[in-house]
Amino acid sequence: MFIKNTWYVACTLTELEALGDKPLGRTICNEKMAFFKGPDGQVAAVEDFCPHRGAPLSLGKVCKGHLQCGYHGLEMGVDGKTVQMPGQRVRGFPAIKSYAVVERYGFVWVWPGDQAKADVAQMPVFEFFDNPAWAYGGGLYHVQADYRLMIDNLMDLTHETYVHANSIGQPEIDETPCTTTVEGDQVILQRHMEGIQAPPFWQMAMSANGLDPQAKVDRWQICRFTPPSHIMIDVGVALAGKGGFDAAPEHKAYSVVVDFITPETESSHWYHWGMARQFKPDDAALTDKIRAGQGGIFNEDMEMLQLQQANISKWPDRKLLMLNIDSGGVQSRRIIDRWLALENTTGVTA
Amino acid sequence: MNTTDLTQTPIAADGSFEIQLQKSGQILQVGKEQSILKALQDAGHDAPFSCAEGICGTCLTSVVAGKPDHWDSYLTPEEQEKGDCIMLCCSRSQTARLVLDL
Repeated sequence: MFIKNTWYVACTLTELEALGDKPLGRTICNEKMAFFKGPDGQVAAVEDFCPHRGAPLSLGKVCKGHLQCGYHGLEMGVDGKTVQMPGQRVRGFPAIKSYAVVERYGFVWVWPGDQAKADVAQMPVFEFFDNPAWAYGGGLYHVQADYRLMIDNLMDLTHETYVHANSIGQPEIDETPCTTTVEGDQVILQRHMEGIQAPPFWQMAMSANGLDPQAKVDRWQICRFTPPSHIMIDVGVALAGKGGFDAAPEHKAYSVVVDFITPETESSHWYHWGMARQFKPDDAALTDKIRAGQGGIFNEDMEMLQLQQANISKWPDRKLLMLNIDSGGVQSRRIIDRWLALENTTGVTA
Repeated sequence: MNTTDLTQTPIAADGSFEIQLQKSGQILQVGKEQSILKALQDAGHDAPFSCAEGICGTCLTSVVAGKPDHWDSYLTPEEQEKGDCIMLCCSRSQTARLVLDL
């Protein structure tokens, strides 16, 4: 079950625009959707189901802002009403569902639940997008695993030592206890390591920011979960003794790991990952280098999660352990469950 | 001798009416829960149809006499007002008899 009365990232504008006159078919929270640009150039989303014979509209193409079915040429409008069809009168055609869409921060956001409740004011706000002081690079993975396994993964970074041994992992992560706090609907898990050697990824970032990569550092990880499934992680290293997270910019390499996790089905999700940074924001080559590094690291997570899901699916009744390192995921799931209960008691299911 | 013109008479209180097929003169009863299309099919007539819910226009038929009661979403309001054609699958009659070009 998913929280449906909320905004999820569906795709990047770049991904949709790269398709040219083809729409983008994507399932979000078990809702099959087709995304395309309407007559005004604004992105729209409708059910991926032609009211004529049930063909997926996403197999068609976009003609003057209408989505033309690839089977018999029915043309669908952004509001889910058929606009025209060769040789037919369409005024009595039943409408299909259309979904509220917002274009923001380079992403297409969609509200999969009760459309009467769609509220732009509930869009999350991020300071690092559309901000010249920051650079952002990221990517998309389609992960064959329950989206909550990704939340567990990101809200417990002890796995870095093992899954990412050659990039961001280091034994000090296991040795340093983390603290989990809940503030309203936000879960914050943090770990601060002091006087350590930076791991390879951060050595690269230190070099890029003009710092000696061999110097001892204080390293931090501050994971912030907010519903439905957005996780922002402050990560970085500062020269040891300079104040850690609060150190002056010239003493640190620092960024925010951006994770937009969008459920597809009960056992799959769309994972938009990225990194926002304040150092050298104009260095596009560095953005590409970080994206490549992060993409490689997160691919290691994807492999683990997919095989974990396969195991869980094979033995669905096996009870899993929730250890002290899992408290971030446990608290995040509690908030999801609370939102779900609220959504379902107010009679909202889609 | 009954001279009442049934195509000018309001339908019966129970919602039933009759249709007359212009070409053969045959008269069929259309019951309250029955569509014109069903009455035709039951009498062995092979009337064209497709969606059976007033959307596609396949069963569009000319009305010779009587006044249709339109339930379709194919005809425009202006066409419905004119009353010279009907969708057999879902529309009914305002008069006790409807003469159809069949």
